[in-house]
Amino acid sequence: MRQMKLKNSAALVTGASRGIGRAIALALAAQGAAVAVNYRSRAQDAHVVVKEIEAAGGRAVAVGADVSDPVAAAELVSRATDLLGGLNILVNNAGISDDALIHDAAPDAWWDVMKVNFGGAYHCTHAVLASFMAQGDASIVNISSAMGERGWIGQANYAASKGALNAFTRSAAVEVARFGVRVNAVLAGFTPTDLVSEVLRRDGGKGIKRQIPLRRFATVEQVAAAAVFLAGPDSGYTTGELLCVDGGFSAQLGIGRP
Amino acid sequence: MSASVTLQPNALVAVQTAVADALGIDAEEAVAEATLFGDLGAESIDLLDVLFRLERITGVKIAVADIAGLLQGGIPDEEFGDENEVVNDTGLTHLEKVLPQFDRSQLTEPLTADGVLGLFTVGNLTSLLTERTSAAAA
Repeated sequence: MRQMKLKNSAALVTGASRGIGRAIALALAAQGAAVAVNYRSRAQDAHVVVKEIEAAGGRAVAVGADVSDPVAAAELVSRATDLLGGLNILVNNAGISDDALIHDAAPDAWWDVMKVNFGGAYHCTHAVLASFMAQGDASIVNISSAMGERGWIGQANYAASKGALNAFTRSAAVEVARFGVRVNAVLAGFTPTDLVSEVLRRDGGKGIKRQIPLRRFATVEQVAAAAVFLAGPDSGYTTGELLCVDGGFSAQLGIGRP
Repeated sequence: MSASVTLQPNALVAVQTAVADALGIDAEEAVAEATLFGDLGAESIDLLDVLFRLERITGVKIAVADIAGLLQGGIPDEEFGDENEVVNDTGLTHLEKVLPQFDRSQLTEPLTADGVLGLFTVGNLTSLLTERTSAAAA
C-alpha cells in the first residue's frame, strides 16, 4: 500500500457536504487525515460524506455551522478540535454565488456573497490561528477562483469576494509564516458543481469549454488533489501561493489566437 | 518585587532562546536587562512570535494581553495617564511596583502610554514566566 501523507493530521473542511468541499474531505481522508465535515444546512449530505469516509476506513465527523457568523465559526473550530482531538489543517471552502449584472442586482447583493466567501475564510482562519501558531506546523488552504484575478460578466460580487480571498491568502501567508503556518489558495477554474450550474446551463458549457486551453472542465477530484498537496508536507516550502487549477484559463489572453 | 529580583535560570534560558530565535539574534544578546522593543528592536509580531515559541518550549501560555495587564494592573486608562496619554503618578507608581528596574527619575522625557511596553525587558518576561509556571504548578 502507498504511504499515506496525512497520517496524524486532522482537518476541518468548510462547506464539505457536496461539490469541491466533499471531494476535498474524501481526498484528505484517503491520505489518512481525520476530517471534520462542515455543513450549513445539508446535514444529511454531510453525514453521507462521513459514512463514506468511515466505510473506507477513515475517521470523520459532521459539524454544522454557518461560517459567515464569526461566533459560529469559532464554535465550529472548537468543536472540530475537540471531536478530532486536535486540528492542523483548515480548508476554507464554503462558498456561495449570487450572479447578476451589477446594473440589475439589488445594491446589497454583494454582502451575503462576501460574508460567506471571504468572511467565512477570515472567521475560520482567525479561529484556528492561536492553536496553529502554538503548534508551529499547520496549513490553511483557501478554495478560491480564477475569477478573483480576472473579470467575468455577471459575477462581479463573486469575483470580488474571491479577489479578497486571494489578497487575504497572500497577506495571511506572510504574517504567519514565521509561526510555521502556511496559507495557500487553490484557484479553481470552471468545475461542474451545483454552484456553477447556472453558468453551464445555456449550452452545456460548450461556449466556455471553447475558451479553455485544455478544452474541458476541472473535476472536483482535480481541484481536491491540489488542495491536498497544499495541505500536506509535499508543499512544505510553499506559502502565499495561488495555485491555478483552471485548464490554462487564466494563463491565456483572449481565446489565445486571432 | 524588589530591584534585586533573582531570575530563575531555567526560565531565563527559555526566554533567551525564544527571544533569540524570534528576533534572529544570538542568545547572549538577549540579556535580562535588555528591553524587547527598545534595545532588541522587536515589533509587535516579534513579541507574538516570542510568546508562541515560549509556549512551545515551556508549555506555559502567556498572551500579549497578559503583559499589558501586568503593566497597567487593571488601572483604567483615564486613571493611568492624563488626557495626552502621558503616564501620571498613579501609573508610574504602579510601573515601579511591577518592573523592578524602572525608576521614574531616570526618564528623560514624559512616558506615554505607547511607550510603556517599551520598558518591558527579557528579565521582566522571565519573571512573568516564572510566576505563571508556579501558578500552574500550584
